[in-house]
Amino acid sequence: MASRLPLLRRISKLLKAPPPAPLRSSRRSLALRFLRPQASTPDVSPWSFASARSFCSGPLNLPQDSQGPAPIDYRSVLSEDEFHGLANSTIHDLQEKLEEYGDVVEFDGFDVDYGNEVLTLKLGALGTYVMNKQTPNRQIWLSSPISGPSRFDWDHNAQAWVYRRTKANLLKLLESELEQLCGKPVNLS
Amino acid sequence: MLRLMAKRLLGTASRDIPSRPLQILPRLYHENVIDHYNNPRNVGSFDKNDPNVGTGLVGAPACGDVMKLQIKIDEESGKIVDACFKTFGCGSAIASSSVATEWVKGKSMDEVLTIKNTEIAKHLSLPPVKLHCSMLAEDAIKAAVKDAEAKRAKMNGTLKGADVKSG
Repeated sequence: MASRLPLLRRISKLLKAPPPAPLRSSRRSLALRFLRPQASTPDVSPWSFASARSFCSGPLNLPQDSQGPAPIDYRSVLSEDEFHGLANSTIHDLQEKLEEYGDVVEFDGFDVDYGNEVLTLKLGALGTYVMNKQTPNRQIWLSSPISGPSRFDWDHNAQAWVYRRTKANLLKLLESELEQLCGKPVNLS
Repeated sequence: MLRLMAKRLLGTASRDIPSRPLQILPRLYHENVIDHYNNPRNVGSFDKNDPNVGTGLVGAPACGDVMKLQIKIDEESGKIVDACFKTFGCGSAIASSSVATEWVKGKSMDEVLTIKNTEIAKHLSLPPVKLHCSMLAEDAIKAAVKDAEAKRAKMNGTLKGADVKSG
């Protein structure tokens, strides 16, 4: 965890200034650090990281104004411990409520599973929800068979997880989608 | 190693089981993804300082995926004549950005903004956990178009004014 600070500084330095010509060795060591498995990334085993292809054969000399969304220093938004506390309680809470919902709904193929910090909700042929923490961004990532991928940030004022693009609230989104899919309403708050 | 694993898995699948959708081995890479991984299209770089090149850089190394997608605009028609990408990440991320570069070619900038991550995900049969890769590809397209448009606006501004060098 402490090693991420200098790493992020290096990344921002790399993106700001054109690197010197003989860069390959230092960049490769940087790339190798990126390949260290992150606990927050689901479904990726260490070996697949090592063999993941990098199509960056040259240094990423990118102009500063080529970014899409502005880079936010997420460490200042929420500390890692705070994030884990909030996210874990949200996810565990959801897990319990979904398990209860499963009993109520008696849906064929309904399955709630929590492993490696990833919550998976299977709804048989209707699709699968996957929810996980994305610690570097301080986000909860959701993959929904209805609304696709979304990334929720903690909104301190609303005390809720909100997807900035659509202003959707995580729990409300799940409530409405589950009611749509399974036919019975659910309260996840 | 991934290639070897993929070939072995594919080989097993085709020998024992008649080809069916992903029910049997849900964690297998779809053949479209493997195709893009083995035969990546449009990998490369354009000159970022070219006024007709738009560059979109999305993602973050800490998250596991970084995509750089570049588009080359034809000055007169405003259409995308060429595209290339460089991606650091999983097979699905590479395939998503590769597909994105294929789909933007020959289209206008407005048209490519309508490309949705759901279409990319469907084309590659991405599993739920990899849908985020397709969203990143969509974001990369949008970022590249935004950059290209900004450059065009800058250029037009420069042409209208005097010989003042902007940026």
